[in-house]
Amino acid sequence: MMSIELIFGPMLLAPFVYFISRGAEWVAKWAALALFVGLLVISVDMYQALPADGGFLVLGDYLRVPGFDYALTLQVDALSVAMLILTAALLILVVFTSWEEKMQASYFSLLILFAGPIFGVFMTTNLLWFFIFWEMTLVPMLFLVGIWGGERKVYASIKFFLYTHFASMLMLVGFFLVYKQTGQMDFMNIKEAMIATPALIWWLMFIGFAAKLPLFPFHTWLPDAHVEAPSSISVLLAGVLLKMGAYGLIRFVVEMMPAETQHFAIYMVILGLTTTLFAGMLAIYERHIKKMVAYSSISHMGLVVVAIATVTYDGLSAALYEMIGHALVISPMFLIAGWVHHKTHTWYMDEMGGIMQKAPYVSAIFVLAGMAALGLPGTMGFVGELTIIVSAIKAYGWWIAVAALASLISAGYVIWAVRRAFHAEISPIVAKSKFDMSAPEFVALVIYAIVIVLFGVYPQPIFDVANNAFAMFGGM
Amino acid sequence: MSTLIILIGAGLLVPLFFKGNMLIAKYIAAAAFGFAALNVYMGNGIDMEYFTLTPDIQLLEIVVLVVLAATMMTFGGFERPLISQTLFLGAASLALLETNNFLMYIVLFEVIAIISYVLGANIRNRKNAEGAIKMFIAGATASGFILLGFAMFAMVSPSFNYAELTVHGNFTLVAVGIMLAGIFYKLTVVPMHGWAGDAYAQVNHAAAGILSGVIKTVVVIATFKAFYIFLQAYLDTTVLIFSFFAVITMTLGNFMALFQKEVAKVLSFSSITHAGYMLIPFAAIASGYSYTSLVYLAIAYVFMQTSVFLILNDLRREAHIKSLDDLRGLYQRSPIHAILFTIQLLSLAGVPIMAGFISKAVAFWAGVDAGLWPLVLVAALNSALSVGYYAWLIKHIYFDETDGYNTSKISISAGSLLGQIILLAGTLYFGIFATPIFLATGF
Repeated sequence: MMSIELIFGPMLLAPFVYFISRGAEWVAKWAALALFVGLLVISVDMYQALPADGGFLVLGDYLRVPGFDYALTLQVDALSVAMLILTAALLILVVFTSWEEKMQASYFSLLILFAGPIFGVFMTTNLLWFFIFWEMTLVPMLFLVGIWGGERKVYASIKFFLYTHFASMLMLVGFFLVYKQTGQMDFMNIKEAMIATPALIWWLMFIGFAAKLPLFPFHTWLPDAHVEAPSSISVLLAGVLLKMGAYGLIRFVVEMMPAETQHFAIYMVILGLTTTLFAGMLAIYERHIKKMVAYSSISHMGLVVVAIATVTYDGLSAALYEMIGHALVISPMFLIAGWVHHKTHTWYMDEMGGIMQKAPYVSAIFVLAGMAALGLPGTMGFVGELTIIVSAIKAYGWWIAVAALASLISAGYVIWAVRRAFHAEISPIVAKSKFDMSAPEFVALVIYAIVIVLFGVYPQPIFDVANNAFAMFGGM
Repeated sequence: MSTLIILIGAGLLVPLFFKGNMLIAKYIAAAAFGFAALNVYMGNGIDMEYFTLTPDIQLLEIVVLVVLAATMMTFGGFERPLISQTLFLGAASLALLETNNFLMYIVLFEVIAIISYVLGANIRNRKNAEGAIKMFIAGATASGFILLGFAMFAMVSPSFNYAELTVHGNFTLVAVGIMLAGIFYKLTVVPMHGWAGDAYAQVNHAAAGILSGVIKTVVVIATFKAFYIFLQAYLDTTVLIFSFFAVITMTLGNFMALFQKEVAKVLSFSSITHAGYMLIPFAAIASGYSYTSLVYLAIAYVFMQTSVFLILNDLRREAHIKSLDDLRGLYQRSPIHAILFTIQLLSLAGVPIMAGFISKAVAFWAGVDAGLWPLVLVAALNSALSVGYYAWLIKHIYFDETDGYNTSKISISAGSLLGQIILLAGTLYFGIFATPIFLATGF
């Protein structure tokens, strides 16, 4: 089974692709597509090779350093493979939706460069290497947002980089304190060696992951970064980078320090609920279509944290489902919001209106994704929100049902957004705009729509993964 | 001994070619460094009394010699006089690294100081002169302190061999304190940093690369070896003093760098900030990882710091780039310079997977291991803060358009490219492979 090649292969490939395709730009696009399809195939293959009763598939152990527990230990379980499959799939769709991006040589080389470390994040169990890959993903993102972004791209990209880097540093200190306490840097060994964790370590690591998720009050980088990024990159930010935060929270906080997490879970619940409701309110208030989607994204990640905070099998499976669901639901919303801006040159929903009449199919996909975001039965959003609320009630009692308010609030902003931007009278701006879309982009949107409904009606495959991933927390 | 002969011999030989073809002088020097590195690799040290070649020093010497060889390749016509000085500097550096005698340490420290004044004195305009004078005056003051401290120390110590140094209560403490005050000037520790912010930016950038990169590295390692026994003997004082200076050096260096308008000044303050990180292993002397982490920091630092100054030297020579605004749109004008510069800057900022990150991480670990996690927390946040100005440089290079009249392409000479690739290889190699350093330092 391939392991280290999946990480360093893309990183070495990226400069080659850049220099080769500077003369022939189409090469970069096809190279990226081929690579990502390969990664998807290998990830699926990896899923099939996982041990059936849960636990890790060992892929290899490289670069061991004498006297310092710094080795690139690669092993995956169902949770990480689920993330790998999601990442590879989203990367393929991102190639489609960036089909006509400018400066393709550098754009796609950066995407290829991004693929290496993001696979590393989900594949290694060594804390220091996890941190290395975690930070490395920021570099291609800095350039992708900073070069291809909107009007305030410089501000957004540097804020994003600094903000998340700052939080990561707290996490790094947390990792070293864990190493000091246990003498181990590998997740598997730490789990066995850890007896009691000081609160300091827990908080340092929690803040590191919370800023990435992002949780209130560490969320302020997200609206800027997501709005200014080109839409395909917003998809990666929301679909992959935020998932890194949730993945880290599950793996290195919940699974590594279950007792401490239970102790502090109530703070996680409070922060998660606050994030959900606060971001939802902001989304209602927002006139800017992409900001509205960004706040909706934060709001859903808050629910994921509520689910993780239960530290039960039910809650964690619900969290995994919602993580995947959120990635697939929010992506078409970002893409369509960016596309609408591209066509109408306005961000404000009250200046749009009547897009449905001029671009019925794309608008229908937005409506479908919006309905999924508000939790309409038959879509992924419904299953995600329902399972989260049920698991949270089981763990915390009835009061946690206030989380259901989130659904109500999201109904508010989604329906109002659809009403203002897509239905209503045709506004002058929309009337004079031409709504065309390239075929690859449209195909990508259709794929999103199909998957949202498919897993909404038949969620079992994702819960099978969860069953394998969280067997140690009980299982069904 | 043969290594020293190669270097000094080449240093005396190259001036013969200064009038004719510069390339010959340059490549003789590079070859001399290459042979010297090979010689050290084969285990040939100075091999005299007071000098020993241990695996850690062997690794450091090879790194320093390779960096100097790469530096040679990037030199242009104006840097001609620096060639033989650099060769002498290489010889002195090897001697300083290998010595195991305190008197030799002081003497060689002064030798390097004098070579550094000569390097700085490669004067072409008033600004160069100002920088050189500042460096000389600060250096002379530092020498005064060091000699005073050493004289006090010599009064009570029966032997100067590192293994036989003895501690005589508070008297030695005062003597060591005075010596360190002088050495802190050289290491640009705040508040003795004032000269460096200007001097590094004002002297020729190639000389600044050697001064701030190579010399600082050599001095910091030699100082750690020389003072190890005292640092251990006065453990509480060591932790207190070095933690304090580490924190103020990092923090002040970072904040000053944030407000600079000249690229060279940003790099100077970044060099000062790195001196702060290098004090962490001193504070963490109680940890078994302190020396390893210092060697790691030094090796990573010498590659990246030398490289950024040499790139800046190239840009100044080819396109008169001085201020941040001049950097605008550099990516369009010279993608190769832009990419090389970016990777080294990100390494300085402590972004993985380059050596800058992992060297800091090992230093942080040494700090945590010694129980100094608050110091490490401050250092880690400082490291994050430093991204502010490195990312700001990157912003000028990539995200800004050129201002219209400075759009000409910038070429890179073959020598520069080769030198930079060697430095880049070092930054990347030690970013991924930590084993050589851990093995060399006794793990």
